[in-house]
Amino acid sequence: MPSERVIRTQGLTKHFGSVRALEDLDLAVEQGEVFGYLGPNGAGKTTTIRLLLDFIRPTRGRAEVLGGSGADPRVRARVGYLPAELSIDPRYTTSDLLDFYGRLRGGHDPGWVAELLDRFDLDPGRPVGELSTGNRRKVGIVQAVAHRPELLLLDEPSSGLDPLLQHQFQLLVRELVADGATVFLSSHVLPEVEVLARRVAILRAGRLVTVAGVDELRRQARQRIDLHLAGPADPAAFLGVPGVVEVRAGDGTLQLVVEGSADQVVKAAARLEVLRVVTHDTNLEDVFLRYYQGEPA
Amino acid sequence: MIVAARLLRDRRRSTLWWVGGLLGLVGFTVALYPSIKGQASFDQVIADLPEGFKTLIGYEQGVPLTSPPGYLHARLFASLAPLVVLVFGIGAGAQAIGGSEDAGTLEPLLANPVTRRRVAAERYLAVVALLLVLVAVFTGALVAFGAPFGVLDGVALTGLLGACAGVFGIALLHASIAFAVGAATGRRGPAVAVATAIAVGGYLVQSLLSLTDALAPLRALTPWHWYLDRNMLADGPAVAAIVLPLVVSVPVVLAGWVAFRRRDLR
Repeated sequence: MPSERVIRTQGLTKHFGSVRALEDLDLAVEQGEVFGYLGPNGAGKTTTIRLLLDFIRPTRGRAEVLGGSGADPRVRARVGYLPAELSIDPRYTTSDLLDFYGRLRGGHDPGWVAELLDRFDLDPGRPVGELSTGNRRKVGIVQAVAHRPELLLLDEPSSGLDPLLQHQFQLLVRELVADGATVFLSSHVLPEVEVLARRVAILRAGRLVTVAGVDELRRQARQRIDLHLAGPADPAAFLGVPGVVEVRAGDGTLQLVVEGSADQVVKAAARLEVLRVVTHDTNLEDVFLRYYQGEPA
Repeated sequence: MIVAARLLRDRRRSTLWWVGGLLGLVGFTVALYPSIKGQASFDQVIADLPEGFKTLIGYEQGVPLTSPPGYLHARLFASLAPLVVLVFGIGAGAQAIGGSEDAGTLEPLLANPVTRRRVAAERYLAVVALLLVLVAVFTGALVAFGAPFGVLDGVALTGLLGACAGVFGIALLHASIAFAVGAATGRRGPAVAVATAIAVGGYLVQSLLSLTDALAPLRALTPWHWYLDRNMLADGPAVAAIVLPLVVSVPVVLAGWVAFRRRDLR
């Protein structure tokens, strides 16, 4: 069976007055995949999700979700949505909310809901207004998956979650995907996406820059390596080393910007007396940089 | 009716406070009646007041303020009763869509399998139900507390029910305006502001323009005129007071409903 397109947009465009929030987006997300949707804040990620759910209407173009329209309740019954900031009436308890949404969705499986509450260690009887930010985030996750949706739209899902919970969350997403769910994962940080997604779209100022495999992106990503040296820091040692795009020297340190594999850099460094190596997390901005500046390789 | 039921549940507690306030208002007002009843000099004082001032305090020619219909009209039906229910209605109407969108709770709700059409319709109906509850409590309290103090003597039941329906009507109309503006804009502020401005403006036009004023025909346009034109307790129900607010509410709510379905959420 050919894989079904779960999300498909054609020329999807949204302007807010003079602000071009999204411009001619063509996207196809296949059934069963985790699709990363990356971009800096304000790139149009949330706008895209809100268009998919019919919260806002496109200026041009069209969006198809699960073969239908996000405006159709039958489609939304199969979608789980975790907004970047979930607002819940502070007087509601978690069970109030789940109960309410459950009835709108035609009933939750009580065993599954109990399991979710247990896994995320949530007290269903406490008013949401009394919960910490992290706990409110958990309520958001639980309500998004309580009806075992076929499509999950996640907007910055792990912001506000501690590492342990991020791990819990990733396990949950993998489980749902193993059961056939499709996940659309929006984020402005690469690490959040690269652990789950295999394919990633990069959005920049409302325009789709590229759609690529995570491995490919990671290979292309630039990384910064700082070498603290015992001897004098001479940038010449790294000039011409494959992968090095920038060398800066200062006070016994060399700051390198490396594109792609760091292998040759490590080999070149082996000739020096290196006291300390500091690497910086592959920064998505650096990945973007490549695309901003011109031709992607 | 899941959405409507949830709204009613959410407003349970605050509605109880409003009910308590209304019970207090009715109880206090009827309990004062025996001390006013015998004061013929009171009517004398009123008779000497300028015309505009008389309308302002709810006095009507031929219905002495010391009589039950005159007293109830001036003290409750032409003043605090519609005001209280109307303020409640504007608040509830503005909150239904505009307020919840301001609070950010509307969008997560609409991620569920419900249409905007359904959410708006159910929430409007819930506001209507809340107003009905409040007016029913008011009416019941008046009947229950009024009789022992003799404040219903000579008031026909149809007149009383008509006047209470009038209270419901004027509150409903302004609640509908608040609902529609909230639904069209997604904001609570403008919804409250527009409905309040119409309520206050209408009241001023009705009470301050004297019958001889060149602008006096404007009065016929205000809901307050439909409602206050006749002392229904003395003269029986006025059809305009009950029917016109309903007739006007329909297109107002429909316009808000259509705008809500078409626009972007905030």
